[in-house]
Amino acid sequence: MWSSHGVDEEDRLKKGETGNLLRRALRMLRPYRGQVVLCVTVLLLWTLATVAGPFAIRYGVDQGLANHNGAALNRAAVGFAISAVAVLILSRAQILLVNRIGESFLRDMRERVFDHLMHMSLGFYDSQQTGKLVARMTSDIDSLQELVQQGLIAFVTSGLLLIVTITALMFISPVLALLCLASLPLVLIASVQFQRSSNRAYLVVRERIGQTLSTFQESLSGVRVIQAFGREAANETRFAHHNQEQLDAYAYAVKISALYFPVVELAGNFALAIVVGIGGSFVHSNAITLGTIIAFVLYLQNLFDPVQQLSQLFNMLQSAGAALNKLFGVLDTQSPVQERQAAVDLPDHGNLEAVDLTFGYSEAGPKVLSHVNLVVKPGERLALVGPTGAGKSTLAKLLSRMYDPLDGSVRYGGVDLRDASFASMRERFTVVPQEGYLFQGTILDNVRLARPSATDDEVAAAMARIGVLEHFIGMEDGLHTEVRERGSRFSAGERQLVSLARAALADSEILVLDEATSSLDPGTEVEVEVALTKLMEGKTVIVIAHRLSTAERADMVAVVDAGGIVEMGTHADLVRRTGAYAALFGSWSGQAAS
Amino acid sequence: MFFGVLAGFVWTIAKVALPLMARQGIHRGIELDEPNALRNWTIGIVVVALISGLCTGMRRYLAFGVAYRVETDLRLKMFAHLQRLHFAFHDQSQTGQLMSRAATDLQQIQGFIVMIPITFSNLLTIVLVAIVVMVINLKLALLALAPLPFLNYMANRFSKRIHPVAMELQQELAGVSTSVEETVTGIRVVKGFGAERVQSARMKETAARVFDRAVYAGRVRAGFMPLLDFIPALGILAVVWYGGHEVLNGRLSVADIAGFLLYVNMLVFPLRLTGQLVSQGQRAVAAAQRIEEILVTEPAIVNKANAVSLPPGNGDVVFDNVSFGYSREAERAVLENLSLTIHAGEAVALVGPTGCGKTTVARLLPRFYEVDGGSITVDGVDIRDVKLNELRTAIGIVFEDTFLFGDTVAANIAFADPEATQERIEAAAALAGAHEFISELPNGYSTEIGERGFSLSGGQRQRIALARAILADPRVLILDDATSSVDPTKEHEIRDALKTVMKGRTTIVIAHRPATIALADRVVLLDEGRIIAEGTHVELLRTSSRYREVLAQAEGAAA
Ligand SMILES: Nc1ncnc2c1ncn2[C@@H]1O[C@H](COP(=O)(O)OP(=O)(O)O)[C@@H](O)[C@H]1O
Ligand SMILES: Nc1ncnc2c1ncn2[C@@H]1O[C@H](COP(=O)(O)OP(=O)(O)O)[C@@H](O)[C@H]1O
Ligand SMILES: [Mg+2]
Repeated sequence: MWSSHGVDEEDRLKKGETGNLLRRALRMLRPYRGQVVLCVTVLLLWTLATVAGPFAIRYGVDQGLANHNGAALNRAAVGFAISAVAVLILSRAQILLVNRIGESFLRDMRERVFDHLMHMSLGFYDSQQTGKLVARMTSDIDSLQELVQQGLIAFVTSGLLLIVTITALMFISPVLALLCLASLPLVLIASVQFQRSSNRAYLVVRERIGQTLSTFQESLSGVRVIQAFGREAANETRFAHHNQEQLDAYAYAVKISALYFPVVELAGNFALAIVVGIGGSFVHSNAITLGTIIAFVLYLQNLFDPVQQLSQLFNMLQSAGAALNKLFGVLDTQSPVQERQAAVDLPDHGNLEAVDLTFGYSEAGPKVLSHVNLVVKPGERLALVGPTGAGKSTLAKLLSRMYDPLDGSVRYGGVDLRDASFASMRERFTVVPQEGYLFQGTILDNVRLARPSATDDEVAAAMARIGVLEHFIGMEDGLHTEVRERGSRFSAGERQLVSLARAALADSEILVLDEATSSLDPGTEVEVEVALTKLMEGKTVIVIAHRLSTAERADMVAVVDAGGIVEMGTHADLVRRTGAYAALFGSWSGQAAS
Repeated sequence: MFFGVLAGFVWTIAKVALPLMARQGIHRGIELDEPNALRNWTIGIVVVALISGLCTGMRRYLAFGVAYRVETDLRLKMFAHLQRLHFAFHDQSQTGQLMSRAATDLQQIQGFIVMIPITFSNLLTIVLVAIVVMVINLKLALLALAPLPFLNYMANRFSKRIHPVAMELQQELAGVSTSVEETVTGIRVVKGFGAERVQSARMKETAARVFDRAVYAGRVRAGFMPLLDFIPALGILAVVWYGGHEVLNGRLSVADIAGFLLYVNMLVFPLRLTGQLVSQGQRAVAAAQRIEEILVTEPAIVNKANAVSLPPGNGDVVFDNVSFGYSREAERAVLENLSLTIHAGEAVALVGPTGCGKTTVARLLPRFYEVDGGSITVDGVDIRDVKLNELRTAIGIVFEDTFLFGDTVAANIAFADPEATQERIEAAAALAGAHEFISELPNGYSTEIGERGFSLSGGQRQRIALARAILADPRVLILDDATSSVDPTKEHEIRDALKTVMKGRTTIVIAHRPATIALADRVVLLDEGRIIAEGTHVELLRTSSRYREVLAQAEGAAA
């Protein structure tokens, strides 16, 4: 088989990068220094043992057979046996070592890249596609893994074998060696050509496979829609097209290899002809011995196969290099929100204030908030209302330091959030997103996300406090119900309940809530409502309200529009004022009545 | 396939002949120095080398060509079949499982087919080489070949051992992928609850499991691979030592030794590959069985032998004593003796608590499932007698959970009729209250949506699904909670448009917002699979306490 790797032109490593990359990779290997030294030693010994085998044979032929010396022949046989056993032991050790070192490296890489991702603030995620980030942790690290599991040893052994073979041939008979190698340039050119074309062909193949499989998957997920509209036949035609394209891509890749492989084989066999034909005439003129011819015939097998192997491994190596480069790229990215060197802990209580807050998602882009001032006292509930796109969510995100302001500041108890330690931020603030989102694991695991040290009883107590325990206890496996297995069976409302339970468990001073816009099924909607009310008791709350009832119950309402607060006051005040809020109130209540 | 095997045979014979020719060249041309022998044998080697080169290319091309074609054909067959399997089949199968049939299992089969021609060559190589070396020197041949069957055996063992380990590793890697994906998708939750460290700790565990499996795989490899190299070395040792003494005793030439060494080497790969072949074949058979399982599943819902066309009409729908359950084992059927007549052009709202069977009623009408008892007629004909395609084009449905394709907005709306003009598409979008936001998308109607494209809100997706159903211009329109995710402040816009769509069209609306229910001429209250009340919204509010109860939950939440 040939390698199924391809590297995009843009991902290919630049000249200077390779050295840099290697140095960094080696630095990551520092904890495994001892193993690396051992591994290199084993590799050297293995090389010696591998070379010793053919030398023993040549000794046996030249000294034993040519000189009719039985003792020499025996010595050669013993030598060969020893080298074979040594190779057996050493290559075993080598595989184990390379594997262990490589896998340790990959494990560290996975942990570091993921940790780094976890430290990045939301601003980073805005600018990244989910798929690309996932690819870093999966296909990129996987291509390194493949190298470790299969490629690395093959690469090293093929490389060494090639060098050793050429050296041995040159040592035995330089002239005959050069004659044999006459076709090597041709093989090399063909190999480079093959490596390039197969790289390109494989990029196409990979893309087409992706295309076919995603069409397949989409048609499975959407099979009900397809049948409902009676589009089975049309859809099949569409798939058949992608399917055929994949076959064409494969056929092309096969053609390339079908042209290349004969070249290597031919070169090897021509060399054989040279050794027999020209070498034979050298023997006649007593320039070389018969043993030399025999040794050459044997060595020739190790000459061209490694070239062929290497040209395939080169693709693997290249894509691993590109992957490593991208991974280091992630590690080099700085989080837009950072913890200061001398960060202080936030006080236990205090006012949450926005002072002249100005923000845009990019420095040059439009300002989403400008000069917002706001004070929320401890225990107060502030509702943010306003049209879609006004900047409510943005304001909420700044108040919980998901982003840093461009200008102005957010303070808690007088401390600028930019000076606060991350640990104390986590303790004081909890942000509940609009839609409940569940991770794989049990309901317990999911709630515990907010406080990993909580015992099962503590989790249950927190759920009971907001009145959602009963809902989940009633399920088949109670709180141990696996979320994944039932995945889609969890309704949006139930997911929301879990999300609120998390907030209850976190039990932090300040709650930032984004209310769901979509309607939930009537049963759970009531439960969500009750849980929310209980959750907010005694907390400082900032809630983005989409429902009249929520705004009504808040202590203060701030109407956000076009990046600023246009009105602020109690619900009753604002209704009386007949301003923006009164208009919104009108449309809300009209709708509830209809 | 035949030519592939043939090319393989020629290649094999050439390959086996080359060392023989080298031996003859060395023996006659060099050792005995016969006139012209050296030149003739050398030319012979070149000619055979050319033939071998030609055949190796052909063999490769033909073998892979056939294998890929088989894979491609099978995939298309599977696709077409799955497309036509009934809903109940898809309810019970997981997409991931079916995808692994389409990807991994097919590859398994392809990988095996590729091996077939090369296996013929390999078997031939083994036989020819065995004959040749035995003819040269029987005793030495037996000695040299003795260790080689172990090679075959070990390769088989190795293949068997490494496969499950590799699969386990693959599984763990898939775990990493799931973990990362859900964490990145849910990053707002992670940040909101300060759960970064929890997630990191989980990843640490996952990474440790991958490490564990990968190191184990390495150990298996380390156990076998060096051995696979060692076994042939034993054969070589036999040749050098015993063969050497035979040369010293004058019973063998040096060239014979060289020939033997080449032949022992020549057997290494064929023996290894045929060793792997057994377990690879077993896996391919298992994969083929899994695929066969899908292909033998008969579509449960098909055209009757003498299916008729749907007669012209305006969508008169009658459920007559319909009973239905998703599985026969269930203690209680989902629908029991349900009778419901919907006149042409009438709009009926189905209302009831979650799980009472509203969606099920909607699914029976386009015959996604077959009724267990009773019958359903559309314009006077039993739906089981109507051509399936006609029935389904006559009935439009907006599903509870919206599914859109990864394509442009326009293509999604024009799903029922890809030839639809831009005007028709825009008109349908306008009626679904979608035209406005679509116009504001980066590329308007040409914006790509879905996983790899622009991501829309739930309400926006629902409106596009609605436009898709409207464009199909069906006789009967079913809206299953079709506006549930639409922002409440926007819903009234759609409601007005819906009135236009429903005018003169038989419509079944499933809803729990009173304002949407009010669109219907008649409301049917469903509870536990039975109709318990019928009438207009106002009538039911007055007469049915259960109706008030069901609505109260929805209203209580909205107010
Ligand atoms: N991550 C983001 N990157 C760039 N622009 C954004 C981002 N999130 C929101 N915006 C823009 O900022 C403005 C305010 O959005 P948002 O705060 O979400 O408003 P609201 O919550 O009031 O609906 C909108 O114009 C929106 O398009
Ligand atoms: N595909 C299915 N397979 C098995 N049971 C189902 C399936 N879909 C729905 N059910 C069950 O059938 C009953 C009625 O469901 P459904 O028609 O979806 O109710 P509604 O739409 O009124 O909420 C419920 O008990 C539900 O669990
Ligand atoms: Mg339903």
